[in-house]
Amino acid sequence: MNGDLRGWRIALVPEKLVNPQPRAGAAMLDVLGVLEASGYGVLQLPPLGEHRLLLAVIADQVAEYAHHGYAVVAIGMRGEPGDGLHWRRLAPLLRHRGVALPPRHIIRPDVDAALEGQRLTKLLASYDLPVAEQQRWRL
Amino acid sequence: MEPNTPRKVALVANCLLNQNAKVCEGARYRGLVSPVVEALRSRGYQLLQLPCPELAFAGARRWWAVYEQYDTPAYRAHCRRLAQAIAPLIERHLRDGDEVILIGLDGSPSTGVRFTSSKPDWGGRPNRPQDDWEIVPRRGVWIEELEAELARRGLPPVPATGWALDMGRFDEAGSRRDLEEFLDSREAAAGSRSEDSAAP
Repeated sequence: MNGDLRGWRIALVPEKLVNPQPRAGAAMLDVLGVLEASGYGVLQLPPLGEHRLLLAVIADQVAEYAHHGYAVVAIGMRGEPGDGLHWRRLAPLLRHRGVALPPRHIIRPDVDAALEGQRLTKLLASYDLPVAEQQRWRL
Repeated sequence: MEPNTPRKVALVANCLLNQNAKVCEGARYRGLVSPVVEALRSRGYQLLQLPCPELAFAGARRWWAVYEQYDTPAYRAHCRRLAQAIAPLIERHLRDGDEVILIGLDGSPSTGVRFTSSKPDWGGRPNRPQDDWEIVPRRGVWIEELEAELARRGLPPVPATGWALDMGRFDEAGSRRDLEEFLDSREAAAGSRSEDSAAP
């Protein structure tokens, strides 16, 4: 697309990773910083709770991306119920919309933030759609 | 932060965290709009991303459009559904006494705050760059419906501005200046409120 800079890759990110709270004695990985450096966009997931309608709205958006050449990955947070991804509700919503479930990468808050950052960066760099799919959509 | 300490929360247009939501040929960043994210986070704002109304309605491969093309009953009903989906989270923050602001996308037919794009007779085949439209001082359709939903819930208006991405020629430095001025004005307002409350 003429002059368009989109990265064609998107991460589903729990609220607690979008807005990390400082923890005593431990640095928290800046997930948004890693995603920005890796050229990913963010779809923010809501905090714990029901959020039925909002999750359906998010599933609609993921389906639109998944069906039109975008790579979607989910980044969870260990220690949160469902890794913060609302997966028990979101997964059936995605299947119902004909979307293959995105791969999940789980951040470990108890592990050194620099190491977790390297692990996330490596995953983000290597993840994308097959080349044939990219060429079909990304003109 | 103590559990009962009021928070600072910025409602951000979907595409400010995800430029993949932009209309074809409209993305100016790969993913996040980093100047906006940095400005908000450096001032202690938490981010709450709004849904993108155009993506789920007209699709990822939609053409660009003006306010009048989206000003339809079906699109407004779609925006109301999205507003009902996100409003409970906003309402919780406002009821908790958090400081809530909104950063939209100026020039957008949907997410414009200070300005939207207008051309009442637009239609038919898009023809960039010959296409012309006007920038008019008005909310976009999505912001109108979101604010209406918050008002229906008896909530106060949320102070708002827009990142001027869709104003024709994009001026990042000017947009950054505008945003900083808006955030400065919020800090000044918060400062005067705390002085008032401390007065005998």
